[in-house]
Amino acid sequence: MNRSRFLLGTVAGLSVAANANNLFGMALAQPVLPGLPGGVDDRVLIVINLQGGNDGLNTIVPHGMPSYYRYRPTLGIAPGDVLQIDRNVGFNPEMKSLKSLYDAGNVAIVQGAGYPAPDHSHFRSTEIWQTAEPEHYETTGWVGRYLDGAGLPESNLFNAVALAPVLPEVMIGRKVDVPAIAALAGFGLSSDRNASERGTFASMDKTGSMPFSSPYLATVATIEDHAQRGSEELPKLIAGYKTSASYPATPLGRSLALAAQIVGSRLGTRVIYVQHGSFDTHAAQKGTQDRLLREFSDGIAAFYQDLAAHGNEKRVLTMTFSEFGRRVAENGSRGTDHGEAAPMFLIGGGLKGGLYGDQPSLEDLDNGDAKFTVDFRSVYATVIEKWFARPTAGVLAGTFPTMRIFA
Amino acid sequence: MNMQASSSFRPPGSLPSNPLAPYGGAWSPRLAAHLLRRAGFGGSPSDRAHYASISCSDAVAALVHFPEMPQYPEPQLVEGQYPMPGAGVGADPAARMALRDARRQQTIANASWWLDRMLVTPAPLQEKMTLFLHGHFATATNTKGIYGLDIVDQNELFRKYALGNWRELTHYVARDRAMLKWLDNARSVKAHPNENFARELMELFTLGIGNYTETDVRESARAFTGFTFARRDGAFYFNDRQHDDGSKTFLGRTGNFNGDDIIDIIFSQPAAPKLFASKLLEFFVYSEPEPELVDAVAELIRKNDFVMAPVMSTLFRSNVFYSERSYRALVKSPIEFVIGTYQLFGVSSVKPAVLGALNRMGQVPFRPPSVKGWDGGAQWLNTQTMLARENFASSFMAAPEMAQSGSWLTAGVPANANDATQRLVGTILQGDASDVARAKLASYLDGNGTSADGALSAENFEERMHGAAYLTMAMPAYQLS
Repeated sequence: MNRSRFLLGTVAGLSVAANANNLFGMALAQPVLPGLPGGVDDRVLIVINLQGGNDGLNTIVPHGMPSYYRYRPTLGIAPGDVLQIDRNVGFNPEMKSLKSLYDAGNVAIVQGAGYPAPDHSHFRSTEIWQTAEPEHYETTGWVGRYLDGAGLPESNLFNAVALAPVLPEVMIGRKVDVPAIAALAGFGLSSDRNASERGTFASMDKTGSMPFSSPYLATVATIEDHAQRGSEELPKLIAGYKTSASYPATPLGRSLALAAQIVGSRLGTRVIYVQHGSFDTHAAQKGTQDRLLREFSDGIAAFYQDLAAHGNEKRVLTMTFSEFGRRVAENGSRGTDHGEAAPMFLIGGGLKGGLYGDQPSLEDLDNGDAKFTVDFRSVYATVIEKWFARPTAGVLAGTFPTMRIFA
Repeated sequence: MNMQASSSFRPPGSLPSNPLAPYGGAWSPRLAAHLLRRAGFGGSPSDRAHYASISCSDAVAALVHFPEMPQYPEPQLVEGQYPMPGAGVGADPAARMALRDARRQQTIANASWWLDRMLVTPAPLQEKMTLFLHGHFATATNTKGIYGLDIVDQNELFRKYALGNWRELTHYVARDRAMLKWLDNARSVKAHPNENFARELMELFTLGIGNYTETDVRESARAFTGFTFARRDGAFYFNDRQHDDGSKTFLGRTGNFNGDDIIDIIFSQPAAPKLFASKLLEFFVYSEPEPELVDAVAELIRKNDFVMAPVMSTLFRSNVFYSERSYRALVKSPIEFVIGTYQLFGVSSVKPAVLGALNRMGQVPFRPPSVKGWDGGAQWLNTQTMLARENFASSFMAAPEMAQSGSWLTAGVPANANDATQRLVGTILQGDASDVARAKLASYLDGNGTSADGALSAENFEERMHGAAYLTMAMPAYQLS
């Protein structure tokens, strides 16, 4: 949405603020997502960012490659400890819960995901994965562009949600505004005193003629409006959801519990962003990565248990990404430096589990790093075309072969 | 939500022809408040009145040439420091729990210490530059072995060099214990150089992406091997047995470089003053500054050999700084928002609970999200952080220390609701509110928006003024600097 249209939308939004209940009420009362259960309009994507660059080699371990043990004299995971998938690869021993989901056919592992001319900077490479634009700087994210083109109702403040304190670039579009929610507690105006002032606050003109101009003025005014309306409505909209799943008491566990609640409350939410980390293990990697992988694996298991208890497990596809894998050879600090290719996980009740893509060679390295075998944009294209049944035009620049991961 | 992608946050209009020439226009309370927000944290109403009463040039001189500071006491040391904190705790769960708790307490003590110092300092620009440098060489505590006063010592380094020579500062940053731990250089050895510090030194601290190659990263990492600290007392120490003294080729030059050579080569690159110019403009003037403006400030930095006092003097006296395009053109950071509010209402000590509020707003001192620091600008603004700002303002107005502050807010019963509105909008926003917002505020003060208590009176005015101050702080202008 361009600035002027956006502002019109804002002013209109302010004038109907008092009717916000009706808008949300409507969203709840009618089938938000017309179509058959499990139809494409009912589907949700959970994007999990494994922040900091997860070491792929110690996540899906190539225990069948002798050179792995040469490169990893202290960090290498012994074949007997690996949760073996086959003679070549297997899960990190901390990922028992995810291995069970894998054995049940609910996990697709895309090996060797990456992109050409990989960047070793956290920030640039994170940006590349989020914008899906390795060659130039782009200011919108691929999810944001998907949302813009998906014909979603502008009245719904929860078309997508970022469970993060800061809105990640992947969720930024030109049209659809995505709320950032760090946690449900604290997402709201707090004190009772506020309640007596809320009427004045809500009716206070925030965009009217000001004795100054600022390039940020319209943004501030809009966010104040959305924050106030969204925070009043979200807790009410999801209050009816009950769960007996037991999530790990970690930030990721709490985010996934909230994600299941949002999914189960059927707000028309298409994409939920969740983050987990930091995987930036330059030193003493084992303790940190083991803990993070265990939290991830156990969190995902609780999430799908919760979803399944409400019949939602086939509606929800989870996809992980991380800005890069790590250097094949460990460094002198029992850690690993920034590298290149690494596996991605796709998880859900509606996919065909297994291994996809080729495990990168450890004999033919790119200056010490594993070379990518699957362009990550192929995975995005698969999600856009096969999961959301949308064309990739306008979302991805160029065409990328899709993968046959859905049954 | 967040709109930064779909629009530019550079102010509309064009750059004045002599952007860095001294501002010759009228000096006013409004511009004095602008200067104090940017070169400090906003100050009290009497600070602002003082700066408005002297000339622009004198005001800037007073900020830049601050007096030698009296000794400021260090934060209380909760946990042990050196030799190595936590040594000897072993596997005993109770002892480990106690250590974790001590570290958490120390983190709180350190952050509160700095916030208090920002609040009461007689040299606000020194603290503001220290905050800039903390975001620039962003290092977090209570992680990666950075405990005790490690981060405070780094902070004192930034304070010492706040307006000093930043090339020299960078040499000390490479020796700083917290940085050596944070980016792993303390463990970087000849046989296995760790690239983390070498990469961020160029990417984030000095040159920016595109101004060096992967080979430069690897070669400079070799040059920094052996830069470490003594486990005994935490002091920097150059371990020549672990230093790779072989030949390196770095940014087109070849020699047996060490880390100091690398820093000097970096600072001779044209990209270095440009990176600092761009970051200073984004932090102190406005977002997405024009390339011509960046170049002009870069030239100023180069000409002054990275000594910042004359650079900041020029910037704070310049045409571009006082142009309407710069006015309220930045988003206040959470720290500016909080410290500015304390100063505005004369509350002179920060409660540790404010750290929770800062966390919800997205900025805790000594806990940047990554080595990239805080992005700032539109990144400060989303549904979550906006609610946190409003909730902070609301609870601040309800806090007992506010009631006891004897603030201007309730000094004297206002004649009527319009008079009260004038006091609020004038002092909190320098008048930067729309007529509609003023009318709503006056209506609230007269009881129309709240209860049946009736018009503003001597009985209800304190309560009403506190509520109205919260509403005024929730207005857009108060989010902007």
